[in-house]
Amino acid sequence: MHRHALTMPDSRTLVANAVLLLLVAAAVIISLSMGTVQIAPAEVIRALIGTTEDPTAAFVINELRLSRVVAGMLSGAALALAGCLMQTLARNRLATPGIIGIDNAATAFAVASVVGTGIAIAPSAMALVGAATATALAFGLAGANGTRGYRFIVAGLGIGAIAGAVTQVMLSQVAIDDANAAYPWTVGSLNARSGASVQVLALGLAASCLVTVAIVRALNTLQFSDPVAIALGTRLRRTRVVGLGLSVLLTGLAVSVCGPVGLVALLAPELARTVCRPGRIPLTAAALAGAAFMVIADLLGRTLFSPLEIPVGIITAIVGSPYLLWILLRPSTRSLT
Amino acid sequence: MNAPLTAPANPRNVVASRSLFLPLVAAGLFLLLVIIGSLIYGAGPVTPRKALAALAGTGSDEAWFVIRELRLPRTLIGLATGLALGIAGALLQAMTRNPLAEPGLLGVSAGAGFAVAVAILFGASTATLTTLIAQVGALAGCSLVIAATRVQGLGNDPVRLVLAGATLSGLLLALTSMLMLMDQRAADEIRFWITGSVAGKSLATFQATLPSLIIALTLVVVVARPLAAMALGERAAVGLGHHPGRIRFLITVTVALLVGAATALAGPLIFVGLVVPFIARAFSGPDIRKTLWLCLPIGPAVVLAADVASRLMAAPAEMPLGVVTALIGAPVLLAIVRAGRMPSL
Amino acid sequence: MSHSNTATLAADRITLAHRRFTVAENLSLTLPSARVTAIVGPNGCGKSTLLNGLARIHAPAAGAVLLDGKDIHRLPSKDVARKLALLPQENTAPEGLTVGDLVRFGRQPHQGWMKQWSQEDQQAFDRAVQAADVKGLVNRALDTLSGGQRQRAWIAMAVAQQTPLLLLDEPTSALDLGHQIEVFELIRNLREQGKTIAMVVHDLASACRYADHMVAMKDGKIIEEGSPAEIVSPELVQELYGVSCELLHDPATGSPLLVNVRRNNRQPA
Repeated sequence: MHRHALTMPDSRTLVANAVLLLLVAAAVIISLSMGTVQIAPAEVIRALIGTTEDPTAAFVINELRLSRVVAGMLSGAALALAGCLMQTLARNRLATPGIIGIDNAATAFAVASVVGTGIAIAPSAMALVGAATATALAFGLAGANGTRGYRFIVAGLGIGAIAGAVTQVMLSQVAIDDANAAYPWTVGSLNARSGASVQVLALGLAASCLVTVAIVRALNTLQFSDPVAIALGTRLRRTRVVGLGLSVLLTGLAVSVCGPVGLVALLAPELARTVCRPGRIPLTAAALAGAAFMVIADLLGRTLFSPLEIPVGIITAIVGSPYLLWILLRPSTRSLT
Repeated sequence: MNAPLTAPANPRNVVASRSLFLPLVAAGLFLLLVIIGSLIYGAGPVTPRKALAALAGTGSDEAWFVIRELRLPRTLIGLATGLALGIAGALLQAMTRNPLAEPGLLGVSAGAGFAVAVAILFGASTATLTTLIAQVGALAGCSLVIAATRVQGLGNDPVRLVLAGATLSGLLLALTSMLMLMDQRAADEIRFWITGSVAGKSLATFQATLPSLIIALTLVVVVARPLAAMALGERAAVGLGHHPGRIRFLITVTVALLVGAATALAGPLIFVGLVVPFIARAFSGPDIRKTLWLCLPIGPAVVLAADVASRLMAAPAEMPLGVVTALIGAPVLLAIVRAGRMPSL
Repeated sequence: MSHSNTATLAADRITLAHRRFTVAENLSLTLPSARVTAIVGPNGCGKSTLLNGLARIHAPAAGAVLLDGKDIHRLPSKDVARKLALLPQENTAPEGLTVGDLVRFGRQPHQGWMKQWSQEDQQAFDRAVQAADVKGLVNRALDTLSGGQRQRAWIAMAVAQQTPLLLLDEPTSALDLGHQIEVFELIRNLREQGKTIAMVVHDLASACRYADHMVAMKDGKIIEEGSPAEIVSPELVQELYGVSCELLHDPATGSPLLVNVRRNNRQPA
């Protein structure tokens, strides 16, 4: 094997991915072991591979806790992948679905189907429609500048604000019980997930990974300017359309599971970039980091003030915002865009 | 909202010394209209017709009671909120030279809201105290914003500043949500408070904010001229004999007083501070002193109009005022960005 | 070898426009094979637009750019990238990217789903870093290099594409004299290896010295074409730049030299 191949990860990236994978595994096992009933990590592993002697442990792990942790893992990975794709396409590390309002819009649409506005379409589908609408709007409003520059982001801020307001309107219009059911949607929580949405997300994530592999080389050339990418044989329009489509798909599906959990899409790729070797888009590392981030944040939310549960979206906001502020406020000569 | 647009002569064509007279009169008339609207429209059995009769002195006691006890305080609070937020927005935008600098977007309101949420959690409930606490929170938020614009490079990058503000708001909102989870009793009070509404607030709250509003408006009079000079650049302002540091300090205090008072009155409302100066500037041109004059009637008019809309849009239920202002404000935000004049001001 | 050693590039009556503003109309041009062609002209004459048109970055509104006789926009992008490499004017690379990483990108057109980094890729890589003299810099990050070194690294990437055609847009615009010579000599060496090269050059003197063929443009039209010795004259300089000069011949190379360049004797336009 030649370590120079562009598609072959170099040793630093390999190590980083391995460490992140271990981190995800550890987070999953610890997350499964913690709760009202503490179960030893070794027992958790036995329960997962089906060799446990303890029927209670098997039930608690496999029936009660596993689906939540899996939902967290998948949605974290999907959000991070979506963020990494969009950052690459926009050539702007701030351009993530959360910041340009896509997840707020997806939430608004999903809430519409949850609170019973008469729209009887599954939340996943609605969230997808919302995500696509917001993306189209952001592009339309940003005008000729496309994904580049500040317009895209400010347009997204406006769209996010409108979508947030619409969500509020819908929640304020319905009976208090429904509103309580819909509350997790406004902050992002793994409580509101439905089994069906998680399955759709799993399928979507798997398909997206395959497609991403197909365009990864083209994505790598987007680190340069358009002329360089074209000169290297990249089909720009196709890469953009496919990448953006994936980003919208992943965001919509993830939001239909966990609501608008903020900043995972921004922080996970950020972390991935620091641990991997520069020069390639760290898609795998970003997805792994996203999964780990989400599972750990949910674990913290469940255990920090137990029995009180803090929704995962609040945890990611509290952890992530200071970091984002630091990125934004530190004096730097390098432009973010 | 459209009143200023109905002003005759197209002011865009007039470059030198725009007359403020027509826009001011138009905005004033519109304000009068929405005040009447605010008094006569509302939920309950008192219909606009009955309310009008009561205003004319021929209505039922019931109608008069509803107007005096419910709709008048609400209208007054709306007026004060709009006034404070409009002027605070204009000041902050002139200060940071960023047309997107808005107390709500930049996290100043969120600072005030968070401070009040903490205070409520610890059992504070009197109106005076709430106002003071909100102002302290706004002062912290505003100082942060001004400090951030002083960071090398950030002052010239409107979007980064706004994103930072949005992030700060998000953080404070998340912290507030966490506080709400901790204490169910406080949660209801905080929720009532942070949804952004001028309904159900007592006249006592309004009275509690009056002194600080008066102080703030006095400060505005003091600071307007040097602030106009700052538009020429800090060095030019020094050359004209002003002290930029002192101006910054005074503006920070003024904005904090205004936003704190507005937040104490109506909760954190975003976009009002963006929309009002945006409309005002269309008629006043770049001079901050003229803009401030126009903000006086336009601010209250915008908030009251939004409040009336919030009562009508989903009647018989009401929509939170904050939702209406967001629905109005977001398109204005987009319009500012579309216009592509962003980095100037 | 999967790539062909020769290719022809020609513009056939192309019209180039930025949105509704037509930059150049009805341009025809064939790049002489295994020669360095310099495109010169005053600012805004459309020379960069022409180069970008030839490199298929900018699609012509009318006419066609022909690569080996076929419309370049109808050919698969990857096939084109195996025949034609481009070095745009301003280049940005991700922070921390090494010269080696950059040059490896040049092999992308030769790779595919099943075809990962091959022996052939490695050879092309070695040859490119050798040719551009960046062998010692392979593990250095681009942002730590001098302007001339960085430009050589970018050229090495284009060389690694192993294309018979190489287009460069103002390859020396931000470089000091020493670095300019460095880059021009590298370009001349690449021609010795049989590449067909076209470059936009700002500086007429350098174009005279390093080009075999010169295309002079003004207001979106090609007004002269030929070897520098044939076409460069005080009249041409007057027409292109509105300045007067006298012409000497470089005793060392025989290429035209402009002297006594001045603004007087301006003729009314």
